[in-house]
Formats: sequence, C-alpha cells, structure tokens
Amino acid sequence: MIDLKNMTLRICHLYPTLLSVAGDRGNLFAIQRRCDWRGIKTEVREVEVGEEADFSQYDLILSHGGADREMQLASRDILKKASALKDAVEAGSAFLAVCAAYQLLGHEYKPFKGDPLPGIGLLDLRTEGGSERFMTHLAMECDFSGQKQVMVGFENHSGRTYLGPQAQPLGKVVAGWGNNGKDGYEGARYKHVYGTYLHGPVLPKNPWFTDYLIKIGLEHRYGGPIELPALDNKAEEAAHAAALRLAMLNKGKMSAIEATTWKR
Amino acid sequence: MAQETEETRPDGARHETVPGDRLAPGGPRLALALGVGKLAGSTGRMLKVGGGTSLPGMIARFIDPNVLRKVIGASKAKKIAVTGSNGKTTTSQMIGAIGLANDLKVSQNRTGANMLQGVTSVAVNAANLRGELDDDLLVFEVDEGTFPLAIPEIQPDVVVVNNIFRDQLDRYGELYKVASGLERVIRELPASATVLLNGDDPLVANFAPDMRARRLYFGLEAQNLGGTVPEHAADTVRCVKCQHYFEYDAVYISHLGAYRCPSCGYARPKLDVALVAAEMQPQGPTTVTVRTPGGEVTLTMPLVGIHNVYNVTGALGGAYALGLDLSLASNGLATIKPAFGRLEPIQAGDQTVYLSFVKNPTSYNTILRTIRDWPGQKHVLAAASNTVVDGEDFAWFWDVEIEEIAPDLLTVTCSGLKAEELAMRFKYAGISDEQLEIIHDRPAALEAGLRKAGPGGSLFIFAGYTPTLELRRAMTERGWVPHVWEE
Repeated sequence: MIDLKNMTLRICHLYPTLLSVAGDRGNLFAIQRRCDWRGIKTEVREVEVGEEADFSQYDLILSHGGADREMQLASRDILKKASALKDAVEAGSAFLAVCAAYQLLGHEYKPFKGDPLPGIGLLDLRTEGGSERFMTHLAMECDFSGQKQVMVGFENHSGRTYLGPQAQPLGKVVAGWGNNGKDGYEGARYKHVYGTYLHGPVLPKNPWFTDYLIKIGLEHRYGGPIELPALDNKAEEAAHAAALRLAMLNKGKMSAIEATTWKR
Repeated sequence: MAQETEETRPDGARHETVPGDRLAPGGPRLALALGVGKLAGSTGRMLKVGGGTSLPGMIARFIDPNVLRKVIGASKAKKIAVTGSNGKTTTSQMIGAIGLANDLKVSQNRTGANMLQGVTSVAVNAANLRGELDDDLLVFEVDEGTFPLAIPEIQPDVVVVNNIFRDQLDRYGELYKVASGLERVIRELPASATVLLNGDDPLVANFAPDMRARRLYFGLEAQNLGGTVPEHAADTVRCVKCQHYFEYDAVYISHLGAYRCPSCGYARPKLDVALVAAEMQPQGPTTVTVRTPGGEVTLTMPLVGIHNVYNVTGALGGAYALGLDLSLASNGLATIKPAFGRLEPIQAGDQTVYLSFVKNPTSYNTILRTIRDWPGQKHVLAAASNTVVDGEDFAWFWDVEIEEIAPDLLTVTCSGLKAEELAMRFKYAGISDEQLEIIHDRPAALEAGLRKAGPGGSLFIFAGYTPTLELRRAMTERGWVPHVWEE
C-alpha cells in the first residue's frame, strides 16, 4: 500500500461555470483542503459544455445546481456525455451531483410549465416541477458510509423527485422535506453515485461525507481499504450542530422565510 | 366611498382628487397619514429606537395607501430613482450631493431604507400636512425587488439602473426574475422620462429595447483599470442573445466591462456617459474624468475602489439627465463621505473601524480587493445572522474569494447567529485555529476585535444587514458615531 503522501485524487468538475449557483464550489474546496491537510495531492479537470472527456479517468466527479436556463443548456449537453459518464460509474468512479445535476442524472425532469427535459438515466428517478418551493434547512440520517451519520444542509427546490427500484435514497429525513415532501427520504445513491438537493454547500458541514468521498475516490485508483487519518473537526462540527439546530427549529415549515418583507 | 378621479392641473401634472375634500387640499386622510407618520418618526428618534427611515412611511401608507402618489402628484420637484443590486446608496448620495451643490433643495431616503416604506418616508418627512413639499429634487434609492411597485407611485423623470448581481437566492430567486421585473416597469415609462442603463452590464444593457423613454448608457472606457477574464462569482458571463460565452476587451468587476459575443456579435453598446480616465490611490482620493453628452467633467472624491468609479459615472449620468450643472459636481463630491456601511471609517478613540455591509459575493469581493492594496496585515470581524431580511441561505459566502485575502489577515473574529459557518469558511480559506475566534454576541465581538487590533490599530468589519445595524448601534452607544438618522 503506497503512502498517502504519494497519492493523487483526480477530480472532474462538470459544468463548473454553467452550474455553479449557491456557493456549491465550496464542495470542491472541502475535498481539496481535506486532502491538502493529509498530504494527498488533488488534480481538478474542468469540463464544460461542448467538451469531451473520458470520465473513467477520474476518481470523483462533481456537478452542481443552476437555474432553469442553465439547466436546459446542461441537459442538451449532458446527453452527449451520457455513455462516457455511465461507463465511468459502472467502473467505480464516484459522483456527487447536487440539485440540477442530481435531477439531470435521472430519467427526466418535467418542469411545472414547459416541455420535459431528458436526463441521462444514470440514477433511476424522475422529477416533476411543483408550484411551491421547498426552501428550508434539512437534516437526515444516512447509513451508507459504514456507520450511521447525520447529514445537514439547505434545500431549495420546486422539483419533486421520485425514486425507482434501482436507486436507494441518500438518507431518511429527520427535518425538512426531502425528495418530494411525501416519502420521507432525501437524495439518491447507486453504486458510488450520490445525488442530493442539499446546498450549504453540503460537504463542508458534513466532513464525514467529504472524507468518505475522498476515501472511495482513492480506493478507486489505488485499491483498498484506505484509512484516512483523522482531522480536527471542531469548526465543522460546530457548524454542523448549528445547522442541525436550525433544521429542527424549522421542522414543518415549507420555507424558512415565512414572510419576506418585500412581499406585498 | 367617494370615487377617486384624475385631474389635470394647469401646469400639466396629473393627480388624483377625492371630490368633497377641498377643505384641506391634500384631503383629511392624507393629512392624518402624514401627521401620524411624522409623529411616529420623531417619537422613534426621541426614544432612540428608530429614525424615521421606514416607520413613517409604513404608518402613513396604512392610513392612506395613496400617500406617496398624492404627495408626488402635487409636487413640482424633479424625481430620480436609482436601483440595481450594488451601489444604490452611494450613487443616490452622490446625486443628492450634486443637487445640493447646484443650490437645490433636496430630499432623499438615506441609509438604505429603500423598500416601499422607506421610499414613502421621503414624502412623509418632507411634505407638510397638506401634502405639499417645496423640494426641487427628490432622490429615491429603490430596492430592486420593490422597484415594480414603487415606480408607478414615484413616476420618476430619471431612472438609473446600476447593475444586477446575484443576491442570496432565497430572497429573490433567480437573477432573471429580478431583471424582468425591472425591465417591465422601465418599458412602461413615458417618453418624457430618461433611463440611464449601465452598458457594462449585459443584462441591464439589454433592457426593453422598445422603451419609449430616452435611453442613455453609462460605463467605463479606461482599459488600464480592468482585466480580461471574468472572475468566478460573475453571473451573466453568457451572451444574453445566443448563450455563447462572452469575450471581454476589459472586465472591471464581476461581469461588468466591455463584452462582446464571438458567436453572434452582440456587444456593449456605445456609451453616452463614460469614464475615460481614473487615478485611484489605495486609500483615496480618486480622481475621475467622465465624458457626457454635455461635456467632460473631472473631479476628485475621497471614495475608493472601482465600484465607486462606477457609482460616480452613473451619478453624473443621472445628474446630466436631470439637467444639473455638472461643473458644480466637483464641489459636491469633494467632501462626500462613504455611505453608511460602505468601508465607512469610524473613529474609535485612537483606533479606526472600517464598517462594511456585505450582502452578496460581488460586494464582498469588491471590498476585499479594495483593502488588499492597503498596507499591513488586517484584523477582521465577520458577522452574519439569519433573519427575515438577511435570509437563511449563506452558501453564497463560498463564492467570496476569501482565499485571495487570507494571507493578509492576522486575526478573524466571527460573530452573529451564523458565526460557526463563517469560521468554517475562513478555516477552509487558510486561516488557522489560532487566528480564529467565535464570539456570538456582537458588542463582545467588537470589543475583542478592537483589543486584537491594538492601540492605534484598525479593525475591518464585514457584516450582513442585521449585524451591521447592531454593530453600528454598539458604536453609537460608545459615542463613536452618531445615530444613523442624524447623518
């Protein structure tokens, strides 16, 4: 087993400019810093619309959220990348997909008004746009990383996502609305693909999840099992606890902002 | 309830009257609205709980929802409305200062009370009980979300649109929604109005090409001030016509600059009001030369930063459209002070506090870049809270280029309800545990920050809306700065 300090995690950031709302690039920062602090090198390749890539070369693929216009552009382009992405995932690459990217990994996104957008069907799910937005703090129990963990974040979506039989949920909602506000689950996972609506961004406040993605990414390249040395997580745990408290406080509310002053 | 009718006055202004209210020219309801509104404002000031920046308007509208319409309708003052994401307050203040230098009687909403209540308060504070005001110029800073509601009541002669940046998403949803709200209202303005659009902002420049009002573009033509590649936090980097990525001959802040689309050819329009030269000292002053259809103006102002170069260009454009004498602008702006919370220097004994109100990645990045050129390492107090006004979603903080300034920072004190989030962001930007401290209580955090800054030192405060008010209040109580309404 080679030394961690001789390891490089190869990351692909898909649509870094097109799908980049809500500070989600913080997910990339979280991965890079937590690797830096352990002496692990990282390489990031950015892939935009119109660019081709052999995604199986990457240990971890990241893609994030965007508004409607951006999502339409991404949908048209990601179809061209569909088989390359599927090959990578079947061969063990990890993928974190947030919000719009999460929806595009499914079969289809049907907006509230307008024509349906096709997805690449990498995750067995479909999404329908609703008239109201779930916009609040969320906390969920997850059990995919080897031990039970709580994931916290901020959801902000009008899409309602329904999982098919090939997809497992990412977690069981404790506070918040989750995929569709009805079935009590949030996100989806399949092999090492993790889809979620959680912004925040999601990784900094959930260092266990960041470390898990780093671990499986490195194992993809170097074989396993890999044990990452622990880091001082005081700051992350404090932010996690604060977010969890907010999620519990806002439990049951559709929107964490019940009345903004600018509304008539 | 008597029917409201429209009536054309001899001077051509239109206003609504209620038959039977001839005893008091504005009507008894209006008088009551104004009277109670004024009382609320002065009571608030007396009790030191509020300064008449929003409360008078709120109460007056409750009594008479048409209070602003009526006062505006009866007035002969010229009216200018300034909107956009960043720079409204400073641009409005500059226009007001140019108005004063032109010997005009000016009323404006100060301190960023720029929603419907704040805008109405201008009228409540300035008008007498008959709804008459004797100002020559009314300057309204208007929140971009409120703009569609406020403009039909204000009926401005001139509108200035500064820029559109992504604010926290949970307040206004998407960028395009805000833009289309502004565009819709601008399209309805009469031919007698003038609209100053920031030509350097592709989204704004593209507003309502079919508008009836006169259309003027302002922007920067001083390429030595800009770069050629937009930064990460830039929003409208794609062509608004064909979605291809823009190329820039010069980019100044975020997505503002001289853009052109290599695919369809859409490019920045020819500028009517343009900054042609600027000399910027890191801590001021700034000397600018601006070309307008009425001639060139050169002036020196104490404000710093490229964002203020944009603000003064837009302000001169607005002043030109109002018919003001721009040669007097130099006097007006020579002593202009930074607006409340815009790198506002506050003397705290032998120390200096620089208070900055930051609410989106672009305003934050702009301030950070401005102070990066200031000598010495810095002590920072960062404060954020989740409130109805501030919003719940702080993820945008990860779009701020903290990494760029991290090597310049000595200590960072984090405060407010979101102190843990702030601390985590700074940690991931490279600030060590020893440099970071979390103190939720704002006054205590202020004390700690000043202690770290040491005798004669400076403390840089970056705070969201609510903590900015709280920290300023703490400093007012120490006698370092007057109440916000006493400015």
